[in-house]
Amino acid sequence: MSRLELYSPEGLRVDGRRWNELRRFDCRINTHPQSADGSSYVEQGNTKVICMVSGPKEPSNKSQQNSSGAVIEFNVSIASFSTTNRKKRSKNEKRTIELNTTLERTFEQSIIRKLYPRTTISVNLHVLAQDGGLLAALTNASTLALIDAGISMYDYISGISAGLHDISPLLDLNTLEESGMSFLTIGVVGNSEKLSLLLLEDKIPLDNLEDLLAIAIAGSHRIRDLMDQEVRRHANLRASKLVK
Amino acid sequence: MILSPAERSYLYDSLAKDELIRPDARADYQFRPIEVKTSFLPSSNGSARVRLTDGSEIITSIKSKVVLAAEEKSLIECDIDIPGFRDDSNFVANLKYNMTSLLNKSFPFESLKLTSKYAFKLFIDCVVISYSSFPLTFISIACYLALKSTKLPKLISDVNDEETAEQPLFSDDWENAQYLGDLNDSKSFNPPLIIVIGVVGKNLLFDPSAEEEQVLENGIIISWYNNDISTPIHNLNFSVHSNMPNYKGLSQQMIMKSILMARKHCANIVKALDQAIEEQTDDGVIF
Repeated sequence: MSRLELYSPEGLRVDGRRWNELRRFDCRINTHPQSADGSSYVEQGNTKVICMVSGPKEPSNKSQQNSSGAVIEFNVSIASFSTTNRKKRSKNEKRTIELNTTLERTFEQSIIRKLYPRTTISVNLHVLAQDGGLLAALTNASTLALIDAGISMYDYISGISAGLHDISPLLDLNTLEESGMSFLTIGVVGNSEKLSLLLLEDKIPLDNLEDLLAIAIAGSHRIRDLMDQEVRRHANLRASKLVK
Repeated sequence: MILSPAERSYLYDSLAKDELIRPDARADYQFRPIEVKTSFLPSSNGSARVRLTDGSEIITSIKSKVVLAAEEKSLIECDIDIPGFRDDSNFVANLKYNMTSLLNKSFPFESLKLTSKYAFKLFIDCVVISYSSFPLTFISIACYLALKSTKLPKLISDVNDEETAEQPLFSDDWENAQYLGDLNDSKSFNPPLIIVIGVVGKNLLFDPSAEEEQVLENGIIISWYNNDISTPIHNLNFSVHSNMPNYKGLSQQMIMKSILMARKHCANIVKALDQAIEEQTDDGVIF
């Protein structure tokens, strides 16, 4: 099979983007006001994720209680129709469990847990469509839904993926690109350069890692700004409805 | 919300009266308002989202695949996913059984036939994002809307391939894709629906809410296809949150009465759904 040209000599990618361009990023906050304490919807290219947060609430199981801080549970469910070829996924698939653990570890650091002792915060994520950058989209959706639920956090966590094609770093990969090169996903804390999440499942030469992280951090900051815009838009909308 | 014995008794009395009074002032045949959106998943042939005012929400996707018709048991496969429930739990298995038997009994399968050998197979996947009352009606409404908005690619090769070993060929242009309903041009395409009816005393209530469910004496499900009653018809315990303390047997008259009531009002439900589809804008946005 002839290999698809992922990055042309002219510097264009399969979907016509340049190396440092993000896909269309669209996010909504408070999409499910009736059924969850906090909710959000994120589209990163063709990846679509719904997130619903419930809590802080009393844990259903006494043994899950922690008197020093909130217990955070993630539950990612990937719809069987999310990929081009339909595939039925079991709920205990290793990949999904890994996503849950990664997200739990990330958000345990960014939520101010000590403010909610003896409670559970559960985050339900529904993946409706996936086209690369799944973990990044899940991270962004969770951040927005947690903000919507009014849960205290130190800062935004914005996620993005970046891959290395030969020696050139590419930002925000789609499925085609993900299958053709090694890539990493990062979660950046606010506008800083601190990483709270880094997932690299294959090999990247150490010399190129710095370039790759630099472009990924720049991309994350852009995502953070877009999410911040949406949060402020929604907050203004709510404030305008308050009775003065 | 689980009702207290006093609340339950009050609600039961108001629903069992000759002139029944429902908590949200609905008539006995009235549904709760729903919000509908279709065709928002680009990688599916059809998709629909149904949301109720109480926050219940269902997303349905329809994907298709070309198969050798002789090798398939059924050309429709339906699957239901409810977060927090195992796929083999009673609740999910029951919903799935009802939807599968509804679709297998009342569906115009001839419209899925492509050539003499090949056919489309439809995979219907429902994700129940959240629910408060028994979700079967809304699952079937989401399926109805998704099937109505399903588009399949246009066949350009010969329909008669009995002798040739050729596989079906489709038009490259997605603009030529046809609605599932237009493939079978002889009559109008109306997918089946399931209506959930609650029984309280001598009264029947369409679409009981979560609170009403707790005082029901029994529940009936009735199917509707091509302007008439269809199967499955049976009685069911709808309890989702409580164990229906008033649950008891069902008299024959109530079954007849519910069929008559469904005959009278289901056509209007279908009309309302069709109107909702016509009002859809083709922007591909989910919310």
